[in-house]
Amino acid sequence: MKLSRGASLKVVTAAIVIGLSALTVPVLAGANRTGVAQWSVVVNQVDPGGSSIAPEFEIAIYENMLDELVKTKQFSAVLRSGDRTADDVPALLILKTTVESYTPGSETKRAVTTVTGATKLKVRSQLCTREGQVVLERVVDGNVRFIGGNLRATHNLAHNVANAIKQSSLPEPAASVHPL
Amino acid sequence: MSQDGDQAKASVSASGVQAKAILGLENISNNATGELSIQGDALVFKLADGRIVRIPIGSIQGVFLSQEDKEVGGTPLALGRAATPFGGGRAIGLFAHKKYDFLTLEYLDSNGGLHGAICQLNKGQGQAFGSELETKGVHVSGLKDDAGPETGDKK
Repeated sequence: MKLSRGASLKVVTAAIVIGLSALTVPVLAGANRTGVAQWSVVVNQVDPGGSSIAPEFEIAIYENMLDELVKTKQFSAVLRSGDRTADDVPALLILKTTVESYTPGSETKRAVTTVTGATKLKVRSQLCTREGQVVLERVVDGNVRFIGGNLRATHNLAHNVANAIKQSSLPEPAASVHPL
Repeated sequence: MSQDGDQAKASVSASGVQAKAILGLENISNNATGELSIQGDALVFKLADGRIVRIPIGSIQGVFLSQEDKEVGGTPLALGRAATPFGGGRAIGLFAHKKYDFLTLEYLDSNGGLHGAICQLNKGQGQAFGSELETKGVHVSGLKDDAGPETGDKK
């Protein structure tokens, strides 16, 4: 079967339109799924809670959390603790992280015994509004059991927290103005 | 903190120590190797390609020193260990570790935002560097003894 030049042009145009719509639908769905693109977030310094977590782990959790939250593209801005520009941001969430448990590991023990020496971290993450309303609360852990340095646990933890936020549906900024 | 050009490059003295920026230094990729030094009123990290990161000492909120074991040899040795038969890899793993000092910094940027950075130094250099920072008025804690205590809790 031989198509005329006009007909084949129409077929090609239709194919392009179908292809483009298939590409854009999931992207738009992702953007509308949570509607959190209007929120900004300020990441508070990690609260050691009752644990005796080493300061380098606290700092590594904090810095990794900032990196991972930027990567999620869920927030219009990711700000640091104490940042004065946060005062002017209208829809702001505050990410509070409290360490629930910390088990220091050893890279040498992991290499030699495989089953011991794991570094384990468990934190409670809360996303709150300025008024103190908790909009999301999760207990998340991050471990290193086999391969990698001890600080990798903080990267895994931050990745898991960012994933938990990404998978949750946050309220619209206007709906969360009043506290509980 | 700022990145400077040729002028800053010229002002860096040779008294620094070799260090690895584990994380947190702005505009520097994680695990980048360079030279850490104190230049007047700033802590300076200079990369091999000449790029410089300056942290004003006045903005440093605190420094914590610690020590940790790290595997040496990287991926080639890790693969070699995995391929060694009869559990020989575990024996290699026992000796393929080295102690390093870690310098953890907390500092504020011009907006008041908190930054943290972790640098890995060779064993013994952390305490010396910390003492030098202490003389500049920075609050330094940890690693007074040779072996720092391993802290933690299990719940």
